[in-house]
Amino acid sequence: MWVKNLLDVCGQELKRTLSDEGVLVFFIIVPLLYPLLYAYLYSREVVHEVPVVVVDECRSATSREFLRKSDATPDLKIISYCPDMEEARNLLRRHKAYGVIHIPAEFERTLTEGRQATVNLYCDMSGMLYYKALLSGCTIVSLDMNRDIQMQRLSGLSDWEMEAMTMPIENEYVTMFNPTNGFQAFLIPAVLILVLQQTLVLGVAMLAGTEHERRRSGAIILGQEYGNPMVVLAGKGLAYLLVYGFTATIVLCFVPWLFHMPQLWQLPTLVAFIVPFLLASIFFAICISFFVRDRESCFLLFVFMSVPLIFMSGISWPTSNIPAFWKVFAQIFPSTHGVNGFALINTTGALLQDVRNESIALWIQTGVYFMLSLFIYERLYRSDKMPGAEFMMAMRARVRKDLRVAVREIKEAGEDLKKKTEKLHNRRKQDPS
Amino acid sequence: MSGTKQGFRAVAGREIVRMQSRPLYGLSMIFAPLFCFVFFITLMKEGLPESLPAGVVDEDNTSVSRSILRNLDSYQQTEIIRQYSNFAEAREALQNNEIYGFLYIPKGTQEKASNQEQPKISIYTNGAYIVPSSLLYRDMKTMATMASAAVGREVLLAKGAGMDQAMGFLQPIKMDMRPLGNPWLNYSVYLSNTILPAVLSLMILMVTCFSIHTELKDGTAMEWLSMSGGNILKAVSAKLFPQTMVFSLMAVIYLVLLYGLMGFPLQNGFWPMFAAAELLILASQGFAVFITSAIPSLRWSLSLCTLWGVLSIPICGFSFPVMGMPAPLQALSYMFPLRYYFLIYVDQALNGVPLVYSAWYYVAMVVITILPLVDISLLRKTAHEYTYLP
Repeated sequence: MWVKNLLDVCGQELKRTLSDEGVLVFFIIVPLLYPLLYAYLYSREVVHEVPVVVVDECRSATSREFLRKSDATPDLKIISYCPDMEEARNLLRRHKAYGVIHIPAEFERTLTEGRQATVNLYCDMSGMLYYKALLSGCTIVSLDMNRDIQMQRLSGLSDWEMEAMTMPIENEYVTMFNPTNGFQAFLIPAVLILVLQQTLVLGVAMLAGTEHERRRSGAIILGQEYGNPMVVLAGKGLAYLLVYGFTATIVLCFVPWLFHMPQLWQLPTLVAFIVPFLLASIFFAICISFFVRDRESCFLLFVFMSVPLIFMSGISWPTSNIPAFWKVFAQIFPSTHGVNGFALINTTGALLQDVRNESIALWIQTGVYFMLSLFIYERLYRSDKMPGAEFMMAMRARVRKDLRVAVREIKEAGEDLKKKTEKLHNRRKQDPS
Repeated sequence: MSGTKQGFRAVAGREIVRMQSRPLYGLSMIFAPLFCFVFFITLMKEGLPESLPAGVVDEDNTSVSRSILRNLDSYQQTEIIRQYSNFAEAREALQNNEIYGFLYIPKGTQEKASNQEQPKISIYTNGAYIVPSSLLYRDMKTMATMASAAVGREVLLAKGAGMDQAMGFLQPIKMDMRPLGNPWLNYSVYLSNTILPAVLSLMILMVTCFSIHTELKDGTAMEWLSMSGGNILKAVSAKLFPQTMVFSLMAVIYLVLLYGLMGFPLQNGFWPMFAAAELLILASQGFAVFITSAIPSLRWSLSLCTLWGVLSIPICGFSFPVMGMPAPLQALSYMFPLRYYFLIYVDQALNGVPLVYSAWYYVAMVVITILPLVDISLLRKTAHEYTYLP
């Protein structure tokens, strides 16, 4: 019965997985540890109180008001007032501050003359977030002060200015699904999915590598890999799916919950999406594992791929701007669709029909990688060139040897019996009574 | 391999043979870094993403709203790919990743504007994709403010105010933003400069640890040691020397790609960055030897080296600043060679400050390089007593 065989294979694979400490580290500990570390790293979401220095050449009431208000925003913190730009630059060089607010001497005069006054902002570009903090902090202050200045001028002024004042259209900004516009809510979903795929690849490759090493060293293990390949693959897949069902639940549900990240998924959608993702990853991993020769080489071969993979998914550099070649190349990896689908389901509350394209792609990948592993399996393990064949020959030899021994033993036993009966006959002849 | 040869050159020669004997070394030391270099350079060749797909919901459908939309489409980074008939439809498009953001113009915008009731138009972006989201926001915000100002400016000009006066009234205080070193806000400058060395450092950490431990695993450690006259320091440095050379070549390749081909900012010339890259290689090797000596199990030391290499990317602070991280991680960041490399890059390539300001970062990398002096004797002991545990 193939069902029984399948369950047998699944059971054996589970046992093999759970008894291998190295693989367990990949399947359980790494998927938990990495996301926790990452989420902890980004737990403050945005940068507050970016240190800036001030060069106030105007020294007027308005310039001081501007600076006081900038300091009061959550984005910025003024750490020093410098007499000139040279000293301010010095502080930038020593990484004491990441921006300079420079108020020119004619600032106040320009304002009183009713012309437009400029505040110069210099920003260290070693991180985009400093730029963002400096710009948004000062913009908020300037908008606020502009309104005040307009109000002052309006009081008792002509109606044309009043009209112009009320005429403009206001605007508001909503970042949907990530209210603080934080780093954590945007990056962690991608990390979670990538960790699942990469640990699966590493763990399965490690299992395959171990098997390879043992076979090379001559130890014969009773593998299930010589049964019906379809059943064997399905059985192994089921075993990994069981383990990863557990891991994925913890990783995808627990970690975001622990760090109070947006979790808008609905259970049926999440399950219906994650199952094909896991299946695609599992058979992808099995495909790759055929090419692994020893236990530890998987580190060197696959870990580095995580870095390009996270960019291929389009979570950082937008998909719409990825060159066509890389877009096609990215189709090889389940994580590309997994990351997008999960980000949409988890962070924006998308339903299965919203991530239709991603989930269809994952099912196609599952099919392709299953067929591909079937093909490689047939080719590699059944051909004469592969170690699998050596094993088969060894087994056959052993059976033949065993048979020969058995035959000889039976013969010997038969002869023995013959001798004994002859002896008995002779004794009877000698002693006829 | 003849057992009679001894010394640095013999061990180094032996290592070259070992490296050639397995495709694994070629794949991880040459192919992997090159693949990533090419990937990142070509991925972000635009510098700043252009024509990001966006949508609009124009419930007003008047001359005012249409002029706003026409304006928005002329921005380089925004491309209006569709008009949605209502808010729900646009939100759905956001959810299935068709667009990264949309502009919502409610019914009665023009009417309210002419009745001086201050209508409000709204900008929505998908915060799950932070980069396109903030870029779209910038375009839409500028556009909305400009549209608003344009209306006001026209009124003021019509009433006889000069342009100077009009702007002075509409926006009395103006911000002039001057990004130092990267005035184009080029995204590739900001990412590639750190990610390329990060991948190299990751591979160095893993290859170093792996190559030392395979000597133990394969039982060739005693041969290796005796060829070096039993001097573990000599054994390790001779063994790693050919690898250092290969990695240096990789470093030169990425430096040429970044500063030659792409023409990214390189204020203080080639040598400070070349020195930083060389020190990054040595410090990564040093750190890996330190870990390898301290932890006699191949799997655990390799795992730790891998963790270090992968973690160095976020913790070096190029995407999310170190000052925004929890305190324990801030302290930990000093243990990552890449952190110092990043700081040197900011000083020497991006901002062009005098070399003396970065001196300590170079020193710190030297310190990490010689870190193995602390525990390398343990490696010698391990080599004598090792048994491989899977």
